[in-house]
Amino acid sequence: MSHRNAFAKLNLFSAQALNAEFAQRVNRLVVVAAIVLTGVASCTNSKPSTNKVILTLAAYTAPREAYGTGIIPAFQQYWKDKTGQDVEVRESYQGSGAQARAIISGFEADVAALSMETDIDKIAAAGLITHNWRARPSGGMVSNSIVVIAVREGNPKQIHDWADLTRPGLNILTPDPQTSGGAQWNINAIYGAALRGCAGVARDDPNAATQFLRDVFRNVSVMDKGARESITNFEKGVGDVAITYESEVLVGRQEGQRYDYIVPRSTILIENPVAVVDAYADKHGVRQIADAFVNFLWNEEAQRAFAHYGFRSLDQRLAEKLKSSYPSVQDLWTIEFLGGWNEVTKDIYGPQGVYTRMFAELHQK
Amino acid sequence: MADTHTMKTPEHSLKNSGLNLRKRPNARLGLTEILLIGVVVVYAVVLLCGPIGAIAWNALNSGFRTVFVQLTSADARSALQLTLILAGSATFINTVFGIVVALVLERQNFWGRCFLNGLVDLPFAVSPVIAGLMVVLLFGRNGWFTPLLEQLGLRIVFAIPGMVLVTTFVSLPFVVREVMLVLAQVGTSQEQAARTMGASEWQIFWRITLPSIRWGLLYGISLTCARAIGEFGAVLVVSGGIIRSTESATLYIFRSMDDRNFQGAYSMSLVLVMISIGILSFMQVLKKRVERRS
Amino acid sequence: MNISITQSNGSPSRGRLSVRAIAILYLFGMILLPLIAIARTGFSAGLAGFWAELSNPLAAAALKLTVLSAVLITLINAFVGTMTAYVLVRYDFPGKALLDALADACFAIPTLVTGVMLVALLGPQTIIGTWLSGHGLQITFAKPAILLALLFVTYPFVIRSVQPVLLELSFDQEEAAHTIGASKWSAFRSVVLPTLAPAILTGCLLSFARALGEFGSIVVVAGNIPMRTLTAPVYVFGQIESENIRGASAVSLVLLSLSFSLMIAVDLLQGKPKN
Repeated sequence: MSHRNAFAKLNLFSAQALNAEFAQRVNRLVVVAAIVLTGVASCTNSKPSTNKVILTLAAYTAPREAYGTGIIPAFQQYWKDKTGQDVEVRESYQGSGAQARAIISGFEADVAALSMETDIDKIAAAGLITHNWRARPSGGMVSNSIVVIAVREGNPKQIHDWADLTRPGLNILTPDPQTSGGAQWNINAIYGAALRGCAGVARDDPNAATQFLRDVFRNVSVMDKGARESITNFEKGVGDVAITYESEVLVGRQEGQRYDYIVPRSTILIENPVAVVDAYADKHGVRQIADAFVNFLWNEEAQRAFAHYGFRSLDQRLAEKLKSSYPSVQDLWTIEFLGGWNEVTKDIYGPQGVYTRMFAELHQK
Repeated sequence: MADTHTMKTPEHSLKNSGLNLRKRPNARLGLTEILLIGVVVVYAVVLLCGPIGAIAWNALNSGFRTVFVQLTSADARSALQLTLILAGSATFINTVFGIVVALVLERQNFWGRCFLNGLVDLPFAVSPVIAGLMVVLLFGRNGWFTPLLEQLGLRIVFAIPGMVLVTTFVSLPFVVREVMLVLAQVGTSQEQAARTMGASEWQIFWRITLPSIRWGLLYGISLTCARAIGEFGAVLVVSGGIIRSTESATLYIFRSMDDRNFQGAYSMSLVLVMISIGILSFMQVLKKRVERRS
Repeated sequence: MNISITQSNGSPSRGRLSVRAIAILYLFGMILLPLIAIARTGFSAGLAGFWAELSNPLAAAALKLTVLSAVLITLINAFVGTMTAYVLVRYDFPGKALLDALADACFAIPTLVTGVMLVALLGPQTIIGTWLSGHGLQITFAKPAILLALLFVTYPFVIRSVQPVLLELSFDQEEAAHTIGASKWSAFRSVVLPTLAPAILTGCLLSFARALGEFGSIVVVAGNIPMRTLTAPVYVFGQIESENIRGASAVSLVLLSLSFSLMIAVDLLQGKPKN
């Protein structure tokens, strides 16, 4: 009972003498608390001061560097020169699907830069985007890339094309299509290439293509939440092969990571959209600057930043200039081959979709 | 012998570490004893020291300068500031309401008391992501309270209030349990005496009850603080991770791992480890004062 | 001790009632209401819907993995925890204070940092990591990582449950048994262990409940491979992100019920709260 007695004894001490000390302590606590609460109050729903504007950008994971290090500082300079106003851009990066859902659930982003059109359309369907975002240059798309296969330095497993991915014992990384846009691009690429006869299975045969998809996914070991998480996992040494955006590989190599990548004979052109989220931009009173930001993305400066961080340029002239930095693709096709995103969302990722059923079957075993 | 809340939670028992350890008679250290000690120590070293050492090594490997640069970046400073705000708010709210709840549960008797007592344990049993889910269900897009809040122009999820809410939730039981324990030990004799002498309820609380619980209360506050600083799962669900806006220190570490900014992740991890250990040391000091005074 | 302060007509004073009301409102609002929200959402498609979510192969596998891991580490903790507590109370040796402090440290360190530390120590690009994979042993991003992370975060529970009981014990009986010829182990087993049993059990239950809900360390270090290293809390997180709120709530309810029953069992073990 010794320790409990000690405690009890201490409390029967003269309350008076220690009371003053304690009262002081409580007073200090109250003061600290008051400061803290003021801090909290001032942080929530903060209104920007007149000469500083806050713009919130919700993006998918891959263009972190492109926006964070390249485009945003350039835009801040551009806007300051043009209007004298300071812009603070608050960025958030997560898987495209997760980001779209967050916006719909109340994440008040002013601009959405996502991986796939369907995610922007989801936000529009929720009534948060009310203008025709496709009316902008290039149909609303700001950046391009392609789906490639990242391999270890020197390609020890001798991967040359999609067909090699079904090799037994191979450890493949690809993200989770439920949250990641990149994951869906990957799956579309595999399925589409198979349909086009470039994966070693019969052409135009959906069953064969589905079987091929299943054989590839049999080798998938980790499914991360986003494309960026997937490639960083690969860099940490997980897996033999990662299916990813070409831009991810290029950025990784820029940061000193050492791995190679294979451009399959046939792969899909990744096109990434951007749109102003009308409801929130208007609510925050930053409509003008949000529009300016989005328009800025088609400027040469921004396109050059995209190119610097691994994306393929939309700008024809720039693309010509940089042609040597990017391997050419023998058979490059777009989402239109699979019927466009609306069809794909239903046929491949819907409840009865190709991928959904394949995945369920695979994991029932 | 079973005392009501003696060993309710290990957090109570944390008090017992260090106490009276020197006063035990020393057993002779024969071969069996040495083996036993050896097993225990090796397990602890491998399991615990390894990871802690790894973080310190990795963070400090590139020198103090790099750590300093990482920690003074705008993102890191903002993240630390947010964590302090969250911990401060949660601790304050849980202290005030914790004392109230403890007093009611320990000093009052009414139908439903057992049920309320059980409710206090729920945050211990809950995975942090579930705590986040709870807030999303209540305040998210189709949340129960969202229409009302929208009227008032209040933003809970993807904003700081939501993070404060979940942090308060997960650190709720500590003050309540610690104060209840002390109230049980102290008894009501002094309060009774004061009452017969005509003191008002408020006077009794302020001059007798509060001072008598202060060590237990401070202990509970330290535990609350440590828990709040380390909260991750719940704030991950509820915050949106907006850099320099709703990104706490733990979220900053998580994102830095993704950004390949390992130096940043390790530096911030080291800071949080040091803060936690600092709070623990403070608790040890409290224990020493208890020891000395008895 | 529960003398209520009554007014002349025998009912509690207004002051006490209002304080009671505050406490009740606070607990109801902070705890009961969210709990109801999860229950309602989990059952929003009825019992059939609830069951459908749970029988989803990924959910079922995640729950199974979580429970099995929790059982395993609880067993390990029971042994190691008791031994550690015994060693800390009984003997004096260099580094004892450090060991004692380490147990506290485990509790205070943020769980995410625990995960990061494990990756920093055993990850694929570390010395230890490459040695291990060279010998065909996979720790990070595989099941052993889950166990390691759980062992780290639940380290103090059994220790701190058992320590106070050991401190109260006089070891004379145990020594006496030993001097009349019983081996040290049987002396321990017959004299000390019975007294410790409730405390060990309490520590185990707490350790188990904690392990069920662990998220921060596991999400970083386990790889989260569906059907293989995806635990229930990480599954719930994934479902929240994919807007499958019902699925998330259903699995959460299972986890909640399990942990909460354990907390109630701990309560009962230590004697009922005063009525």
